[in-house]
Amino acid sequence: MEMEREKREEKPKYKFNRLETLKLIGPWVDAHWDGLRVAKKEGKKVAWSMGPLFPIAYAMDIPCHFHAGYAAYCGGRKGVPPLLEAAEAEGHILDACSYHRLHMGVISAIEKKLPIREEVMLPTPDIVLSARLCTEHTHQSDAIYRHLKVPTIAIDIIPAHRESDFKMLENYTKRQLTEVAIPFLEDFCGRKFDYDRLSELLAVLKKASEIRNECWKFFELVPSPWTLWDWGVSIAPVFYLMGQPKTVDYFQQLKAELQQRVDQGIGAVHPQENFRVYWDGWVPWSFLGPISRKLLSFGANPIVGKYPWEFFPHPEGIDPNRPIDSIVEQWYSYMMSTRSSPEFALPFIEESVEKYHLDGMIMFASRTCRLWNLGEQDIIDEIERKYGIPGVVLEADMIDPKFFSEGQIDTRLQALFEMMEARKRRRR
Amino acid sequence: MPEIYAGIDVGSLCTKVVILDAGRNVLSSHILRSGGHYQGAAEAAFSGALESAGLRIKEISFLVSTGYGRARVTFSDTHVTEITCHARGAKHLFPHVHTVIDIGGQDSKVIYVNDEGRPKNFVMNDKCAAGTGRFLEVMAGALEVSLQEMAELSFHAQGESEVSNMCTVFAESEVISLLAQGTEKADIAAAIFRSIARRITGLVGKLGLKEPVVMTGGVAKNPGMVRALEEKLRTTLLIPPEPQIMGAYGAALIAAEQSD
Repeated sequence: MEMEREKREEKPKYKFNRLETLKLIGPWVDAHWDGLRVAKKEGKKVAWSMGPLFPIAYAMDIPCHFHAGYAAYCGGRKGVPPLLEAAEAEGHILDACSYHRLHMGVISAIEKKLPIREEVMLPTPDIVLSARLCTEHTHQSDAIYRHLKVPTIAIDIIPAHRESDFKMLENYTKRQLTEVAIPFLEDFCGRKFDYDRLSELLAVLKKASEIRNECWKFFELVPSPWTLWDWGVSIAPVFYLMGQPKTVDYFQQLKAELQQRVDQGIGAVHPQENFRVYWDGWVPWSFLGPISRKLLSFGANPIVGKYPWEFFPHPEGIDPNRPIDSIVEQWYSYMMSTRSSPEFALPFIEESVEKYHLDGMIMFASRTCRLWNLGEQDIIDEIERKYGIPGVVLEADMIDPKFFSEGQIDTRLQALFEMMEARKRRRR
Repeated sequence: MPEIYAGIDVGSLCTKVVILDAGRNVLSSHILRSGGHYQGAAEAAFSGALESAGLRIKEISFLVSTGYGRARVTFSDTHVTEITCHARGAKHLFPHVHTVIDIGGQDSKVIYVNDEGRPKNFVMNDKCAAGTGRFLEVMAGALEVSLQEMAELSFHAQGESEVSNMCTVFAESEVISLLAQGTEKADIAAAIFRSIARRITGLVGKLGLKEPVVMTGGVAKNPGMVRALEEKLRTTLLIPPEPQIMGAYGAALIAAEQSD
């Protein structure tokens, strides 16, 4: 039967206004990962950093990767599936961290000379620096060592459960760095550790993250001139691109562009920002496109989240004259994964609800990483009870497409926005 | 011309249509298998419901689609999720409802309903199909019985067999192993329903049980499942006269509200 009704047309009603400054990031990250391959070809030593130890490699002028940064890059460049397949062909189980499997896929590709696109490949490391931010990190470096047999050192950054434990755990981590990791690196390089260079890097990082935090304040404005995804893309200049003077320029330019938008009344979502949502958990690097499109179809802007605060959030705590102390104190500072439990997360989210005028919460649960997803339903219930805003858990993964179902995410997000719309109508 | 409203629920297994008159009375309903072509299933089911009601398509004032294929129904006026639709339908039939359990073909949902019949909070199964209608169909297939026969069998269970609730494929293997060991089909059927009941109880636990509880979706027509769930939740489930059409019914009610 021919349906004699007018067909419903679904034209995209909203679009994101892209920030010009963000366009700088793509070429920089390309250059970083390309730089590792070039360095290796030129006979230089290169490092892999499983966890946040790359600053000590940079201080010794060793080109270094950062595992989560690489996974994000690979996800953004659509390079993940063949590498995960390579890992699975080696028998790596699907429930293991997809970032880890990605690296095991790289190792398999190196060993078997698999035809992987060069731009998403890593060179074989000459040294592996591992620091446990999650329970799997040290096992990951162990697995890498078993294959590559290159010098590998792992330190343990133990999560804290009480404020009163921070100092003790910080001291334990500092001692591991100064008494184990740095001597290991000195031995590998055949020279003394360059504390002065680390101080220089931190001085630039301090400046860059100061301006970055000023940019964060723009999220308080309604409409917001930018999105959490923009903030996520801007992590690299304060993380694995840290210490480069251009990163300070980047945030200055970004801040100026955000201010210009505010002056001109331009928001991130065009023509209007309908909903402001909190995003919890990983930025879904491989699936940003479909998730963004879905959010955008409701005029929703992901405003804030705690994951992007993982990366050097407290410039005031960075003292270039105390470089090792500064780094460790940042690891144990507010919002780092060393404080991943709901007890630490809840106050941040509660504060965010009012400060950023949030309408709802999206808890992104990564199937192969539960680090940020402890007590997510409890958090939703608590926030709903206190502030009357709804939330939803999205189950997927950071990068593994096997755990991503667009249909399921679609239904959950639409249901969330239906609840948010109903509450808005009631308030009106 | 009196206002006529329709709701179409294009689910992963079945497509359901409900047509209401201006007084929100059901004029007709229609259910058929969705197959692989959602748009075609929606058109066929809608035609069937129109024919039963003696209506022409032009007489429909407002049409809301829902379910997994909701966006594929290009002739609907708007689409709404099944979460909102089941909540609305359940609230209309059971005004005091607080919780709705909907076991659909591919999703299980537990929905808290507010006083206005809107979802206040909800949880759904993760990506695994365990605890869904599809899971039940696969298990019935492994036992080589119909869903109705599986329900009847479960009432005659004597033993205490166990089936994993982790994964449809593993559970199917377990069923086959139990059969190979000579376990009675009745015991296996009861174990299958208990495994789904555990899964749903886990979802309910995320929100906390708030009575009265209405069960919707095609699986609510299965007495074996209803009994297992009632035992596990320790509550009496309220079942609509035709639970399978509750999503479409809710969609039609929303269509009527849109028209108001």
